[in-house]
Amino acid sequence: MALLPLIIWLIEDLLYVIVFPGLVVIMIIVIFLIYLERKIAAKVQMRFGPLWVSKKIGGALQSIADLMRFSFQEFILPNGSDSLAFLMAPGLMFSFALLPLIFIPVGPYYTSLFPSGLTILFSIALITITPIYAIIVGWSSDNKFSFIGSLREAFLLISYEIPLLLSVVAMIIIYKTLDYLPAVAFQEVHSLPGIIINPIAALVFIIVAIRSTGRFPFDITEADSELVMGLFTEYSALFFGIGMATPYIELYIMSLIFSLLFLGGWWPISSHSAGLIGGLFLPGVAVIMKAFIVMAILVFLRSVYPRYRLDQAVRSGWDKIIYLSIIAVLVSIVEAIVI
Amino acid sequence: MILKLNEGVFNIEDVANLELSGDRQIELQIGPSHPGSGHMRIKVTLDGDIITRVDPDIGFVHRTSEWLSERREFIKAIPIVERIMLPDTVHANLSYILALEKILDIEPPPRAQYLRSLAAEINRITSHLYGIGIFGIFLGSSTVYMWAFGDREPFIDLMEALTGARITNSYIVPGGVRWEMPKGFKEKAESTLQYMEKRLNDYNDIWAKNPVVEARTINVGVISSLDAIKLGIVGPNLRASGVDFDTRKDSPYAAYSQLDFEIPKMENGDSYDRLLIRIEEIKQSMRIIRQILKDIPDGKIIADGIYSQLNPVMKKVYEQNQRAMFPAFFLNMRPPSGESTARVEAGRGEIFFYLNTDGNKYPNRFRWVTPSFRNLPFFTKVAVGHRLADLPTIYGSIDYFPPEADR
Repeated sequence: MALLPLIIWLIEDLLYVIVFPGLVVIMIIVIFLIYLERKIAAKVQMRFGPLWVSKKIGGALQSIADLMRFSFQEFILPNGSDSLAFLMAPGLMFSFALLPLIFIPVGPYYTSLFPSGLTILFSIALITITPIYAIIVGWSSDNKFSFIGSLREAFLLISYEIPLLLSVVAMIIIYKTLDYLPAVAFQEVHSLPGIIINPIAALVFIIVAIRSTGRFPFDITEADSELVMGLFTEYSALFFGIGMATPYIELYIMSLIFSLLFLGGWWPISSHSAGLIGGLFLPGVAVIMKAFIVMAILVFLRSVYPRYRLDQAVRSGWDKIIYLSIIAVLVSIVEAIVI
Repeated sequence: MILKLNEGVFNIEDVANLELSGDRQIELQIGPSHPGSGHMRIKVTLDGDIITRVDPDIGFVHRTSEWLSERREFIKAIPIVERIMLPDTVHANLSYILALEKILDIEPPPRAQYLRSLAAEINRITSHLYGIGIFGIFLGSSTVYMWAFGDREPFIDLMEALTGARITNSYIVPGGVRWEMPKGFKEKAESTLQYMEKRLNDYNDIWAKNPVVEARTINVGVISSLDAIKLGIVGPNLRASGVDFDTRKDSPYAAYSQLDFEIPKMENGDSYDRLLIRIEEIKQSMRIIRQILKDIPDGKIIADGIYSQLNPVMKKVYEQNQRAMFPAFFLNMRPPSGESTARVEAGRGEIFFYLNTDGNKYPNRFRWVTPSFRNLPFFTKVAVGHRLADLPTIYGSIDYFPPEADR
């Protein structure tokens, strides 16, 4: 008799991790986001974008066709590369990009794999690991362009890590918790999304999200007119595909965190609703929709802005963004004292 | 030695005094197969992120245009010179024909002169749009790239209506032009110009006034007017440095002496000025096109000397289709021995043409200098001291076109 709840628990958790909002949904979202990015850019740029693969549905399967092409392409291992690191780093980078997801709830009915009450802390900590593997990718390729790309990644990592942490700290001070569930509950109780409570922190977070996922105008590590393909110059086949998909995974994670911390999470769905539909599905849809809108806005930037230079990006990180993030923390402290 | 940052750009003297020890610097081979190189190789030596030496290695697309032209009849050199500078075919064609006409001593009729200027100005707009597009993609703005190449299309369509071909027109022949302006061309040209005027506002918003573009280009690749003259820079790049030099004004050819237009010039000579001046020149070209459409005189499109050599069938074609066919003498042309030069202000700068004949069917010496080749010193002189990311900025801003330089 005790077996049945265990089985239900297992199935629900497996569903949670693998199907919704886990890997399957992520893959669908990433594939659709790449398609959407290309379509938005095409609309701005007076052209069609992906069209000829599955013409009846407007070329929506183009990304899947690309994925298949990457899967069956020949993989080339450069002679001078550090082969172990060369082979391992993209996979590790991809995995660590996905890992924050186990700490990010997309609904009030949330059985964390590691119930800790520290989910914000863990997810942010895991986000900061991915760039280290990006640096290893560039180092192991034995290519000067990749190497310069990884150096740029390192510079940017250092200059934008602190604002990221500070902008999250600003929200933690207000929510008085390190867990996502109470943070969303706080926004629900006060009927105020975080972006209104502390807009400066939201601004800093969104800038850092653009930076850390390499969207324009901070597409500096992959600047193709200077560095060919940046970190992934020497890669081919599925490894290249993984490398190209990782920033989109990161973008998804960042957008999820943004919608939880700043956009009220699953609001307007109540935290007290229960059941598979009301407790898991609807809040998940609400959060993912918000994250998707954020992502669509961020990928739209490609059509508007060229890229900054490395020194300009680093300087703006140390000159402006870090002061903004400190101001955001001060604003939060004042608000926490007053309210 | 420690470099001091001066508004984002290092002094060339400071960089030259650096100890060039081997460990400290890395050499990058940008090209010949690189998204940011074009058909050339740029050897870049970097100290950290600072460029200490740039060595452009050109010649990957050398197509022996001079050698080929010296072994063909005079009329057959037209397609050869055109193919060297594909975004700018009319000017290549025109410069050669001007030199040839001086030897043949033919003066084209006024209408043909106007049509030549018309084709040249439409071509200048397409050439500048090409340059803007390439600059856009070098800075990472795929939108400007797509827009510029897309907006080039209406003007190429105009050229197709006027000359029968989109790019390689071979429109200008000794003594005139090959095609009369078709019916309805003026209306079509006017609507194209109105479209482009609207689009230039969009370019202003997304390109010239874009904060990222301003940050990337202002004070990058600065060349003073004196340096620009010393290095022999030509075209919009020279005028962006504040030198008022344009062959259309200084030694007018075609119909430019009768046309009213201005030569835009800038002051700072940085990449941003070189970006703006191309937009300004597009505006001036549109002004010239409007004048030509209004003022174009009636008359023949080829010189009387050529017209009298047409056979009766060709004359019938000329009267009915307004199309000048080649008289037989074009192929067997044996110009008197002599030499001549011609200068034409092409989209990227001045083409200098030298033609030497000795009374044979083929040119004795065929020599031309293209503007891109003369803008090459930008790489070695101006890029040093900038960051690696500034190299595409400088490359794109000078609108360098390797096949044109290699000839």
